Parts: sequence; structure tokens; C-alpha cells
Amino acid sequence: MTHTRIRAAVVAAAAAVALVLSGCAGGGSAGTDPGDVDPAGEITPREISWLLSRPADGGVITAMQQIADEYAADHPGFSLNLITTPDRPSYIQKYETLAAANKLPELFDTDATPFARKLADQGRMIDAEKLLKSLDLYDDYRPAALNYQRFDDGSLYMIPFEFQLEFFWYNTALFEQAGVQVPESLDDFPAMCTALRAAGVTPIALDGQDQWPLERYMAYHPFRTAGPEYVQELKKGDAKFADPDGQAAVDWLHSLGEAGCFAQGFSSTGYADAQALFTSGKAAVYNIGTWELGNLATENLDPAVRDDIDYFTLPLTPDAVTAANEYVTPSGIGMAVNAKTFDPLVRDFLAFALKRYPEVYAATGALSPTSNVETTIPDNATPLYERAVEQANDVGEQIAMPWDTQLDPTSNTRLQQELTLLVQGESTPDEFIDTMDSTIAQNGPAAFE
Amino acid sequence: MSSTMLPNRSKTSVLVFLLPPLLLYGIAVLFPIVQSLFLSFFSWDGITDLRFVGFDNYARMFVGDDVFWTAFSNSLGYLVICLVLQLGGALVVASLLISLRRGRELVKTLYLLPAVISTVAIAFLFQRIYSLEPTGLLNQLLQWVGLGELQQAWLSNVDTVLAAVSIPEGWRFTGLYMLIIYAALLAVPQELEEAARLDGANWWQVFTKIRFPYIRPVWITTTIIAATYALRGFDIPYLLTNGGPGQASELLTTYMYKTAFTHTDYGYASTISVFIVVECLIAVGLIILLLRRKADA
Amino acid sequence: MTTHTAIAPPSTTMTTPVERDRMPQRRRRRLDLHRTLASVIVTLIVIVQVYPLAWLFLTSLRTEQDFASGNPFALPTELTLDNYARAFATGNLGLNIVNSLVVTLGANLFIVLLGMMAAYAIQVLGFRLSRVVRALFLIGIIVPVQIALVPLFIDYSSVNLLDTYLSMIIPLAGFALPMSVYLFSSFYEYIPRETYEAASIDGAGPYRIFGQITFPLSVNTIVTIVLVNSIFIWNDFIFANTFVLSDELKTIPLGLQNYIGAMGNVDWTATFAAVCITITPLLLVFLVLNKAMIYGLESGATKG
Repeated sequence: MTHTRIRAAVVAAAAAVALVLSGCAGGGSAGTDPGDVDPAGEITPREISWLLSRPADGGVITAMQQIADEYAADHPGFSLNLITTPDRPSYIQKYETLAAANKLPELFDTDATPFARKLADQGRMIDAEKLLKSLDLYDDYRPAALNYQRFDDGSLYMIPFEFQLEFFWYNTALFEQAGVQVPESLDDFPAMCTALRAAGVTPIALDGQDQWPLERYMAYHPFRTAGPEYVQELKKGDAKFADPDGQAAVDWLHSLGEAGCFAQGFSSTGYADAQALFTSGKAAVYNIGTWELGNLATENLDPAVRDDIDYFTLPLTPDAVTAANEYVTPSGIGMAVNAKTFDPLVRDFLAFALKRYPEVYAATGALSPTSNVETTIPDNATPLYERAVEQANDVGEQIAMPWDTQLDPTSNTRLQQELTLLVQGESTPDEFIDTMDSTIAQNGPAAFE
Repeated sequence: MSSTMLPNRSKTSVLVFLLPPLLLYGIAVLFPIVQSLFLSFFSWDGITDLRFVGFDNYARMFVGDDVFWTAFSNSLGYLVICLVLQLGGALVVASLLISLRRGRELVKTLYLLPAVISTVAIAFLFQRIYSLEPTGLLNQLLQWVGLGELQQAWLSNVDTVLAAVSIPEGWRFTGLYMLIIYAALLAVPQELEEAARLDGANWWQVFTKIRFPYIRPVWITTTIIAATYALRGFDIPYLLTNGGPGQASELLTTYMYKTAFTHTDYGYASTISVFIVVECLIAVGLIILLLRRKADA
Repeated sequence: MTTHTAIAPPSTTMTTPVERDRMPQRRRRRLDLHRTLASVIVTLIVIVQVYPLAWLFLTSLRTEQDFASGNPFALPTELTLDNYARAFATGNLGLNIVNSLVVTLGANLFIVLLGMMAAYAIQVLGFRLSRVVRALFLIGIIVPVQIALVPLFIDYSSVNLLDTYLSMIIPLAGFALPMSVYLFSSFYEYIPRETYEAASIDGAGPYRIFGQITFPLSVNTIVTIVLVNSIFIWNDFIFANTFVLSDELKTIPLGLQNYIGAMGNVDWTATFAAVCITITPLLLVFLVLNKAMIYGLESGATKG
């Protein structure tokens, strides 16, 4: 008696679960056509939200807040609610779960990840290329800034708000002390590290805790030897780490570890500590983007090292297929426009905001994703600031994409873990290659069907 | 058959009192367990349609996933370290406290203090304690006592990281368990101990023959509570190392969480959840069985 | 955890420290040595236990440069309250504290009220399947909270409960309920049957007896349960982190997470200042009520 009752209850529960699940799965069918970038209707001011992952007091948020206030002055009842989660892993989790719950706000940040690809395929994001063209803003953007946001097939669903160049900052005094030159090739790195170590200097400051900085080093070697296509093929399982280009990259990383390039305990060193290692003159090299210009190229920098700081861009390899002016030039996480909630108001606000944005943003001393404004150099800047800003006008077309936005999340997590082990000397290049090739074979093809 | 203390209560009154708690409990605990079981037979990324995969997730977990097994053995290691610290530490301090004449209340209060602090704060704190560059508390201390060569980045070394993430968890709750055991020790009749001492028993004999058997029931309860809490350990490893370096401090719970919310692989995450439920039931069953049997022997 | 684990012997003959002092003279000296040794060890352990907290507080008063370069054991060269100013400026600590308060009070209300009701039904009213219900509640003590994350997330999103206070309160109360039921029902065991019988003869029904007898008698147990649960709920990270999305609902642990900047940058001294601010409310309650809580824990453990 009780037995059948329990069974009945279980069946009922399972049925209820099925209902619940079917109710929220595949809820992608959008009310709006993602290609319809100019919907008809009245502009009715209301509150719109932007779920984003940028520093709370950073340039993007400050500028957009100001612009939203200006817009609200003409459109009473409008407000822009900025919900930021600066910590990227927490952000990604939040945005992906909101997408699963079909609760994304009008605007949301995302990189060109496999997950974003699925959202685009389901018609849940507005086609950004069409939108920008219909607003007559498309040609203002730096091609590199837009290219960074594109999916592999060239389609564009995210709008950039920044433009950054990633450099190897280095301390000239420490280089001199150790008798080393700026490396001409990536292959010179191990020797450079050995010499610096011998001089009692920590060669490279690395924030290992946040994973992405070490993953950049994974991207460098193949970008030079095989170009940006390597990772696009690798992530689908079409290329392998066991291929010559992959093998060379893995061996290179292994040799960086053996040469003691990174500070002891780098894997538990955080962002601030890594930067402090460099700015206090203890470490000779620090790989970071122009978003840190305010700390590295202004009088905020410790006077003891201020005059010794310089930078070089990603070195080549002997037979590199990409040019010296092509390296990691990200335009930051992009902003996607939710197709479901896109209406005349959202369009009108974006038309106003995106036109106004470059000028307001460039005035904060940052590089605009468009090429129609001049960046204001702050009063306390060192000469390096201007040089870095100038450099932005001289970047090539191909971009070394950060791999964390490329791989499927399962493979990416595993890669980050295995990279640490490889560089710490806990695993051999062969073990690394075996593990990663089988992980990607298991997860990659399914993610990019 | 349970007996009622109220002769003229109605069936309705039982339902009135029982249904609201069961409803909340059902929604929050029982139904999710059933749901996990259900989801574990599907593949689902949260945004596309649910796909039935039969036992594929289970096959993947048991034979195709080395991280799962690493996480499993790490969870056991974490459990052991937490239990030793919490129960062992609690027993030692409680025994010492019993023999103190003054300051018992103060010690109890101070000892309980870490339990009040949130795990996020504790993670921040221990990150600085274990740090090598800049030199953290622990490494500084080693230098002072002349063990400078042991200095290292405790959270970067695959051999030390599991202990390093377990210790904060053990540290924060010893106070709680110490109080419980202390209360149990207070209840041990002094006459028995005195009599044994007069018969020439040393402190170890007094402890094993009189004190411990007397507190055994409380000890079993405490062990179960501590074990279930250690098995649900999550915050500190997640915040301190996120399972790294490699998978050296990955626990089943952090792995499940990542699988669900980072990899958006809800089906496989539910499979791991089901395993965690079974694992916990077995662990508690074993604890009861082992400690009871000893009592009977 | 009453009937499943054997009940401890009732603590009738509690020897007070005073009684213990009436020991034969010849044992005195050895015992004194013993005690001194015990005091030293206990003091050492307490220092280890408390030092990190003292360090946390000192760090919150250090200047950034002092912290970055300094020896962690050194006293701060100069004290500053700048960190506190920055902590308030960066985060939304006041709001976080209010949110934690709402969640803690809400969850405690459920835990206490529903826990008492279930215990009353099981222990006092009694019914045929009470053993089954007890066993069901035992599951909640054993299984880890994480298993509810994915299912609850799905359920919440389908009934629009994501990002609400209730989304945190439901699982926090649900998972704490079993322990509360066990503590209440083991306490109700000690209320003599005659009390109820007398009331029944006077014509009181189950509802009046619950309100007029059982509830007033439960006050001590309520205090214990509320205090212990508050510690866990006030500091809950995992449910808040999974179900809360907007800044307006962030509780303290999430607020502290805010101090991690965009690329993982942390302003350590301000973070430590924020930590100090957020632990203060709970710490004050704890210091004021710690006697009640310690008493409750001790008696709850030995009786249960």
C-alpha cells in the first residue's frame, strides 16, 4: 500500500520536474526578429538595465552614467540601471544562469564565447553589425576593436566599449643589471629568465590566481607560429596540442617554468601582489594591458622605478606568420543587446549613447574603440603614456585572441589547471598534451556543433 | 506506534502542525534531491533543449573522468583533516579546560570567536597568512623559529594545498565542538574518576576507561555533525584556491559547482550531486556503525 | 539527534569547581603543576585561535604602503582610518548589513516556528508515521546543501523567485529545519506528560496547549537555535552567490566579494576594514549573548 503510494509520488514528482524543465528550457524564441534593428513604435521612456562586468568606478561606467543622465534630462522617466560584477568568473556564472532562466536584461556583457554563440543562434541577441550600420556608426570603430568581438564566422553581436593593447612592461635598470636585452624572439625568453634569476631578480611577475594571465602565455607561441586560426581549430578538436605548433608552444611554456621565469608561488599570487612585485622593482617583466596606464605610466608610480619603466610588444618567433604589430589587442568584454526587450526606446538610447560615448570616454585618458576621437593624456602622465596611446594607431589586423574566450568552458577550466601544473613542473609536456587533447576531444566538438 | 501525550487531539490538528514544516522542507531539501536524480539522466546546458542520455553521465563519472576521482579522494582528505582538527582539538582543549580553575568563560568565548566570521573574510585572511611574497604570517613565523627553509607558498604547492585549505575550516569550528564536548565532560561523575585514581589508574586509563565511555553518545553526535559539515565544505577551497593548483584542492562540492555554473553542464552536475548524497548517507552510516560497535564490544 | 544516537546520561551531579577543591591534601601539589601546564597550553592555543583576528583588525588600520612592504607581525607605523572611508565609499556596506539582517531574521522565523510545530506534532501530538517523518528529517542533516543549488535555481526561475530574499531564506531555513526539529523534540521529551494531561482535562485543545504551554516553555531552546543558526545564515555565501543577482539584495559575504576588482585586483586594507565593519554587528550580539548561547549549546548537546 505505502509502496505503491510512494511510487506514485515519485512518478508525479518526476512529471512535475519535466514540466518545470520544459517550461524554461529553450525559452529562446524571441519576440523580436534579431535582424530588425529599427522596430516601429513610440519611444516610451522607462528604466533599462545593463548587466556588466567592469570596474565600478572605471571609465566605462562613469562615462555611460553621465550619458544616461544627459539622456534622461530630455526623456523624463528614463534611467539606466548599471549592475556590475567586476569579478569575471562570478560575472560569467551570473550571466549564464540568467540566460538559462531567460531573465537577461536589455543590455548585457559577454565575450564571443561558445555560450554567446548559442544565444545568438537562438535569436536572443540583436545583430550588432546591422545595428551599428543603421545608426551610421559602424565606420567610426577601429576594425581591430570590432574584430575582437566577432564570432569565428565573422558575425558581430557585441559592441566594444574599450580598446586595449597588452604589452610586456619591463624594468630597464634590472635588465641592465642582469645584462639582458629585450627579447627579439619568444624563444629568447628562457635565456632572459635564467640571466635575471642569476642576478637575483624575479624575472616575470604573474598573477596566477586569476588564471587568465598565464593562459595568455599559452596563446602567444601558436599565434606567432600558426596564426589566429590555430586556436579556432584546436577548440573544435580539428587541431591538436600534439601537432608541431602545439608541441612547440607546450615545450616553450615548460621551458619558461624550468628557467624559473615566474615568481615562486605565482599560482597563489593575486593581481595586486603581482603588480606590486613589478612596481616595487623586485620583478623585471610584467605582462599587462593599457588599462593599467594610470598605474604604470603616470606619477602614481613609485619614483624609485618611474624612470626605468618601458615596454615591448609581443616578440616574434623565427618564422612567424603574424606581424610584429599584431598581438593581444582586446576591445574588452562586449555589450550585447537583448532581442527580446529591444524596442524603439532601447534603440534611441543606444543611438544617443554610442554617438556621445567616444568623446566622453576618451576624455578620461582611455583609448576609445572608435578612431574618431583623441585620447586626453592626463597631466601627471610620463612620456610612456603618450607613446602607448600612439601605438594604438599602428596595430595590425589579426588579433591574438585570449584563449579563455575561445575554448568551451570545460576544456578551458582544465587547460587553466594543467597550465599551472606544467609551469610548476608538476607535469611533463607529454602528460599535458595527452590530458588536454583528450579533454578537448571530449568536450570541444560537442560545444561547437 | 507513537504515543500521544494529548488524548483528545484530532487528526486535523496533527496535519495543521505537520504540513507547513514538511512543505518548506520538501521544497528546499527533498524535492531538489528527486530533481537531481531526474536531471542526472539528461544532458542540459540551460539554454537548449534537455536531451535524455540514460546512464551516460554515470558512465562518464565512474570511468571517464579523472578529475572526479581526484576530487573524491581530496574530499576524503579534507574530511579527515577537518575531523582531526575539530574533534581532536576540541577534545584536547575541553580536557585542559576542565582542569582550569579560572578564566573558563573567557577561554570559551575567545575560542568560539572565529565561528562568527564569514568564510569570505576567512578566505581573505588566510590568503595573507599563507602568502610567500609578500611574506605572510606563517612564513614569518617559520623564519623566527629558525625553520626558514620551510618557507613556501603554501597554496601553490600541490603537496600542502589540501591541508592549507582544510585548516581554516577546522580552525573556525573547533570552538563549537569544544563547547559540546566540554559540557559532556563536565557531566562525568567526579566520584568515579576519583575512585579510579585511588586504585592507581593513570590519567590515560582514567580517560579511556571512564571519561570517554561516558561521553561516547555525545561523541557520536558530534562526529556526525562534524563529518556532515566537512563533507559540505565548499566556501573556503572555492574562494581560496578555486580547486587549484591543478586539481590539488578540488573537492566534490566545488567540482559539482563548477560543472553546473561554470561549464553549464547541469545534467552532469546533478549526477555528481546524486553521488554526494549517497556518499554522505554511507559516511554517516559507517560512523554510527563503527562507533556503536566499539561501544558494544 | 535524539533517539538515533543514544541519550546521554542525565547530568544530575554536576561538580562545580568549588567542590573539586575539596580534595585530599597530598594530591594538591601535583594537581597545581598540572593546572599551570594546562593554563599555559590553553593560553597558547587561544592565542593561535585569536591572533589572526587581532591581525585582521590591526591591518584595517594600516596605511597601504605599510601593509604592502611591512612585516606582518610589526605594529603599524601609523594608524589611519582612510581604509574605513574607502571601504564605505567602494561598497554598499550599510545595505549589505540590512540585507543580511532581513535574511537572518526571516530564516530564523521559519526555523523556529516550523521547527516547533513539527516537533510538537511528532513528540506531543504523535501519529502513526512519526518515525518515517523523523527519518525524513534526518536526511536533511546528512546531505550537503550544494545538492539543492541546481534544482532550486531551475525552480526559482520558473516561478520568478530568483533574486529575492525568499530565494535565500527558503533553502537556508529548509536545511536548518531538521536540526531545529530534533532540538525541540528532544526538549519536549522532558516536559512531563502530566502538564499536558492537566491542561487537557481543563478542556484546552492542541492549539491552545501549543500557544500557552509548549511555546512559553521553549524560550531557552529558541534562543540557542536562533543564535547558532544566525552565525551560519549571517555568513552564508553559497545560496546568496547563486541566487542573488542585483546589488540591492547582496548580503555581507557578497558585498565583501565586491572588493575584488575587475581583473582580480584587491584593495587589501580597505577589504580588511570592510571585514571589520561587517563582523561587528554579529560580534556584538555574540559577546552580549554568548553566555546564553554557550549554555544552550552545552545543555542541548548533552541532553540531545
